Amino acid sequence: MELIYTLRVLIKSILFVILWSKCEGRESEFNYVTCGSLVKLLNTRHNVRLHSHDVKYGSGSGQQSVTGVESADDANSYWRIRGKPDGTCQRGVPIQCGQAVRITHMTTGRNLHTHHFSSPLSNNQEVSAFGENGEGDDLDVWRVQCDGSIWEREEAVRFKHVGTDAFLSVTGEQYGNPIQGQKEVHGMGIANQNNYWKAMEGVFILPSQEPLRHNHEEL
Amino acid sequence: LSQTPGKLKTPSLIFTSIYRRDFYKILGVSKSASVRDIKKAYRKLALQLHPDRNQDDPTAADKFADLGSAYEVLSDEEKRKQYDAYGEDGLKEGHHGSHNDIFSSFFGDFGFMFGGNRQGQQDRNIPRGNDIVLDLEVTLEEVYSGNFVEVVRNKPVAKEAPGKRKCNCRQEMRTTQLGPGRFQMSQEVVCDECPNIKLVNEERTLEVEIEQGVRDEMEYPFIGEGEPHIDGEPGDLRFRIKVMKHPVFERRGDDLYTNVTISLVEALVGFEMDITHLDGHKVHIVRDKITKPGARVWKKGEGLPNFDNNNIRGSLIVSFDVEFPETQLNDNQKEGVRAILKQASVQKVYNGLQGY
Repeated sequence: MELIYTLRVLIKSILFVILWSKCEGRESEFNYVTCGSLVKLLNTRHNVRLHSHDVKYGSGSGQQSVTGVESADDANSYWRIRGKPDGTCQRGVPIQCGQAVRITHMTTGRNLHTHHFSSPLSNNQEVSAFGENGEGDDLDVWRVQCDGSIWEREEAVRFKHVGTDAFLSVTGEQYGNPIQGQKEVHGMGIANQNNYWKAMEGVFILPSQEPLRHNHEEL
Repeated sequence: LSQTPGKLKTPSLIFTSIYRRDFYKILGVSKSASVRDIKKAYRKLALQLHPDRNQDDPTAADKFADLGSAYEVLSDEEKRKQYDAYGEDGLKEGHHGSHNDIFSSFFGDFGFMFGGNRQGQQDRNIPRGNDIVLDLEVTLEEVYSGNFVEVVRNKPVAKEAPGKRKCNCRQEMRTTQLGPGRFQMSQEVVCDECPNIKLVNEERTLEVEIEQGVRDEMEYPFIGEGEPHIDGEPGDLRFRIKVMKHPVFERRGDDLYTNVTISLVEALVGFEMDITHLDGHKVHIVRDKITKPGARVWKKGEGLPNFDNNNIRGSLIVSFDVEFPETQLNDNQKEGVRAILKQASVQKVYNGLQGY
């Protein structure tokens, strides 16, 4: 069964590549989340956007906190989708389902991160923002889980942590001051309606043409 | 107008200047220009010809409109084919899409300012939404040849909604009279009434140019494409260039450095080779003398184009290191080597670490 599944994914990917290379005018019908894109991620069950800020957890690891917010116009809800440190993610290439990515907070440069600490409100697994200038450690990697072969913007996907196998989730617990009204984001082992996220606002980078050309006139 | 016997002269000559524009000439590109050349030309000319920048030129608005039309036709594959075959008359539909749309896909939505200053600086009290800074990774190939990156910006836009909302809320001191000569001061929160606003997501395509010779950390701003502010203007979207490391070339300013390992035989007897450059062209190197380890060949004009003047190029500096043979020599071969090289024993002992 696994072989057939792999074959189907392979054929779909080849078909996608063939069809993609024929596309010229792309306009705003571009439907995929690509490597290097900036997005806001909406938890579809609780209607909050993944968010971080320069506020540290008062318990657990004491690292920078990650929450869910209701507002749609906060720049602190932007995250950049990047590849693993091995450099295999090319700018503008759509993210495959099952691909391992890092999710870097735009304004603070820290990566979405989880580890074996308890979350403050629900005692699930604490999710923090970790690292400096986009560089953290091995626990910054998440696998994008989706139904098709590519992460589509219209589709809600799950993020499964590589290392602890936890799903990025929200179950509705709310913080008090100083982050009044924001909801707790944590890791949970079970896949359910609470771990679906959808790409909303953002800057989606399209694949570029190769700049290679033989330009001898100027020499 | 002379009458050519047997032929009719059409009256269209009267309309030549209006309907027979040479779009290639307006953009300053050749007929075989690529889409990228066209985008690059538009972007450069749009900055120069914008009416705000040419306030004492009465024809500025027309020139700017012509530029927009030229770009609209030549950047679209279908329209360009029609134009090449039938001229401007042959274009099927009239031009739609305001020039503002085209302009703002290169520079941003919210008006236009020169020198990076926002207009309305006199009124610093207008609140502004957050700026968005996106690190854009570029390859050395793109720095060498230039490129355009298309992005889709999906952003919340403030739209009018029915009803009113509270805005400009502030604390004010109120004085109330309790009786003759007796007053009470209290603090109150006072708000104005403003039209209600809701946020609606809108999407548009933006074109970011990776200019030739661009340096690390340089930014390309798109005015007004950042986050909205309910009570004010939107912030900006800035693309920050991050030049990635390259497996073959190292950049230092406008110069490129690379290393080549040659065999001991090549080092002694000479060699000929090609280095494939960032755009695919070959740099030819010929050596007929002995090449010492650490020797450098300087190729002028083979570096990166200078950002401020693309016609100036840096140099390519090639450093050679020598790979010695793996197999040991037998006694006969050792004699042969001594005989051929005729180099006396040197064995000079010195401090190599302190620069003696």
